[in-house]
Amino acid sequence: MTRFEKFIYEHLHILRRLVQVAALLFLVAVPILNKFGFNEILGTFYSIKIGNLDIVDPALMLQNILLTKEIYFPMLLAGIIPLIIALLLGKVFCSWVCPFNLFAEFTDKLRKKIRPKTVKFHNHNPKPHYYWLVFGIILTAVAVLGVPLIALISMPGLISGQIADALFWGSLGFEIIFVLLILTVEVFWAPRFWCKYACPVGATLSLLRSRHTLKIHYNPRQCSCSSKYLPCNNACPVQLDPRHAGIYPYCYNCGECVDACRQEGQALTFTLQPAEKLSAAQIQNRKQMID
Amino acid sequence: MILDWLQKLASAHPPLRPPGAVLPEGEFEKKCIRCRRCEEVCPYDSIKMAHGEWGLKMGTPIIIAREVPCYLCMKCPEVCPSGALEPATRKEETKMGKAVINQETCLPYSGIICRACYERCPIYREAITLKDEIYPIVHEDKCVGCGICENVCPNDPASITVISAHFPEE
Repeated sequence: MTRFEKFIYEHLHILRRLVQVAALLFLVAVPILNKFGFNEILGTFYSIKIGNLDIVDPALMLQNILLTKEIYFPMLLAGIIPLIIALLLGKVFCSWVCPFNLFAEFTDKLRKKIRPKTVKFHNHNPKPHYYWLVFGIILTAVAVLGVPLIALISMPGLISGQIADALFWGSLGFEIIFVLLILTVEVFWAPRFWCKYACPVGATLSLLRSRHTLKIHYNPRQCSCSSKYLPCNNACPVQLDPRHAGIYPYCYNCGECVDACRQEGQALTFTLQPAEKLSAAQIQNRKQMID
Repeated sequence: MILDWLQKLASAHPPLRPPGAVLPEGEFEKKCIRCRRCEEVCPYDSIKMAHGEWGLKMGTPIIIAREVPCYLCMKCPEVCPSGALEPATRKEETKMGKAVINQETCLPYSGIICRACYERCPIYREAITLKDEIYPIVHEDKCVGCGICENVCPNDPASITVISAHFPEE
């Protein structure tokens, strides 16, 4: 392990919070700078322009292709950059940058405070079908109804757009109520349902995955926790069980489980290596070891 | 408060879209990705954002000429990432709308000399000309619909208004 990797592992949680806060400050700073005539950095999390570099949310690129039935080339190029990052590192935009995820993580802490009964959550890895089903419904709705649905429900977009409008005009739109509504539903009924199942932005970023995409690796030999006490499961913001296979496409590589496991057996690590192929017997064996 | 707002909505003159916006409105609504770049780049703060009361149009750029018109600096089409504002547009070729003069209230037509709209028109001496050196006349083929004339008209409500190309009034 290089010193750089060691540094990252030791400060995983605080680094992530720093990046998240920096992203939020970025959203505040850009409209203010533009208000004073500095136009080198423009945009919101729908689309950002830094100098001559154009970046567009690939979900919106997809929406545009579906709506106009033609390809606008500059936008296609701009939408590829986030897809390449997602191909290398997974959905890190969601966990490290997205402002909605930051708010939702804190409202989730609130949920654990005001509804203590829900703290002991039985983590499991749902089948990926649900994820793709919701995404498919959204895409079909866009294509059939001809409505820019993804732009209207994109949480990072709505939040950053509202921040820009508020700083430019001092007024918020009705959109913010939609954001608050989802946060309320997450607190009282369905914890973290938006990021986990519904968000089209995250779904687009998880479209591309290779064997070498950054992933969580679990080494059962080093796992020292019993099934009654699982810091990794407790730490996971989206209620997954990183000890079992099939956390993708739900897992967004936030590294909370890795951070929690560092205090224990260090069985969970990030890796770029492809997962080793296990025979059926080995999978059975591993399941017995875990349970 | 809600009543005030509803009244404002009912009496509001339909706004303009930024220069270069693709026509018709339905096409623009599909292409615009609500990224706010045009709002941020606009040096005159002409471009405002439609909010939730606009329904599916929320987050799209609008220009309310009576508050701040478009001064045709053409910075916004360049930064649009999705082609909703066509990038290679010259200011003379844009078609945001067309100005219409209400001759019943327009000052020169009732005998008071006024050249506010004629003198401020960016398509000077082409889009608005003076008949007999007194009466302003709009030439629809030259008018780009920037709304400067509506903004500078001394009458209230303005005697010259821009009919938006995206929201034609019934």
